Amino acid sequence: MGLVKRAEHRAAPSRPHIRKYGRDLQGLLAQLHDDQAKARRWAARDLAAHTEAVSALCERLQVEPDPTVREAIFGSLLTIGTEAVAEGLIPLLRGEDAGLRNGAVEILQQLPDAVGHRIAALLADSDPDVRIFAVDILQDLAHPDAPAWMLAVVEADEHVNVVTTAIDRLAEVGTPEMVPAIQAVKDRFPNEPFVGFAVDTALKRILGNG
Amino acid sequence: MGHSGVARESVPEIRVTDAEFERFRDYFYRKTGIRFEDSKRYFVDKRLIQRMRQVGHEGFREYFAFVRFQASGKEFQELVNLMTVNETYFFREEYQLKCMVNALMGEVLHHKRSGETVRIWSVPCSTGEEPYSIALYLLEFWDRIDEVDVEIVASDIDTQALEKARAGVFSRRSVSHLPPWILKKYFEPLAGGYHRLCDDLRASVDFRRVNLCDPRDTRGMRDFDVIFCRNLLIYFDEASQRRAAETLYDALNPGGFVLLGHSESMSRITSLFKVRRFEDAIVYQKPL
Repeated sequence: MGLVKRAEHRAAPSRPHIRKYGRDLQGLLAQLHDDQAKARRWAARDLAAHTEAVSALCERLQVEPDPTVREAIFGSLLTIGTEAVAEGLIPLLRGEDAGLRNGAVEILQQLPDAVGHRIAALLADSDPDVRIFAVDILQDLAHPDAPAWMLAVVEADEHVNVVTTAIDRLAEVGTPEMVPAIQAVKDRFPNEPFVGFAVDTALKRILGNG
Repeated sequence: MGHSGVARESVPEIRVTDAEFERFRDYFYRKTGIRFEDSKRYFVDKRLIQRMRQVGHEGFREYFAFVRFQASGKEFQELVNLMTVNETYFFREEYQLKCMVNALMGEVLHHKRSGETVRIWSVPCSTGEEPYSIALYLLEFWDRIDEVDVEIVASDIDTQALEKARAGVFSRRSVSHLPPWILKKYFEPLAGGYHRLCDDLRASVDFRRVNLCDPRDTRGMRDFDVIFCRNLLIYFDEASQRRAAETLYDALNPGGFVLLGHSESMSRITSLFKVRRFEDAIVYQKPL
């Protein structure tokens, strides 16, 4: 008794609960559908150690009503962080549930290797909402091509909301070389007063006079 | 004239403009939840310029792009280390340590099974003074320490602070509030007024790098009975405070306690916790 030493922490992590269920993959997958949210949450957390659980976790996300369990599922997917995670989360961008969409964006932002080669397809999606979420992903994606991808949106996307979202994100990472392209957006959408405001705000930031 | 011109060219001046400061401030807030007021401008600029010089960037724009898109995130971590303040000392806000041994530990044990470990989390632990103070207080002022296992986990976002914490060497100022007999019993005096904490006590704290705003880091922080989270939330804005409060809530066992800094109030942030007024301190409790 007394203060537990570091080596003991590692040898016997302090979780003295008696496990009610098996903690192998099959047991955890079963518990992901338990009646008790707490059991589902712990199953979701422990499934972080199983890369094979990605599809089950993504499927559960779409029907899981408890926000604490969703949070655990997102956490585990992020920990796993494979290509399969990106593949499983991208369809959520098309869903109606804002919580799921935002959660998916947050996880995808953290997976530059898995997401980078999927960005072009997302930015070419026929649904402008999906393209906006793709720009949101780019906002925090640690990928060297992120500014260039956003610039391409500014130059070529035909939907004003997608373009202004990209301009807003470029306000943080844009460079003076991008100024003509951003400025030109005003001419592309002459009847959208918000565009002028978005462009001016971004330019002030980029040129350092605002 | 020529001479001074050469001198200027050889040491180019690096400036951070108002707009660049805004950009950095927004980004840093988004990533860490820490927002710098305008009054911190000099502090922030000085550290940014220091890092730019160290990594060989002559302008903010290219340096910022480097920070933003570096896959490893190492440079961002360097900035976090520089920007976070680590002022702390042993037995700081001692009334809360008294509350822990006089009231909280007893309540925690009341809800535990015999033999179950009590878990305490110190966040942010900075260079270790707080978690070691908790350990010292339990050993010296809690009469049931010989009957119960207590596990102390300490975390900080600053990896350099964690290295110092593990090393356990403290300045004269850092130990100035300790009773002399505790200093003598647990510390070895070193040259220059420094003191090294004994190995046994250093081994009693498990130090980990954790960003309280990053779910990847916090999802493993669970099953705690007492959390010391002092003088951190005060640097967060409302949204970040709420997120942090939820993280602390998730990390606690039912009936567990959170201790905040003296100028902080959980009640202004969230209704998740119950306010408990003990003789020594006000503490926030996760409902049973």
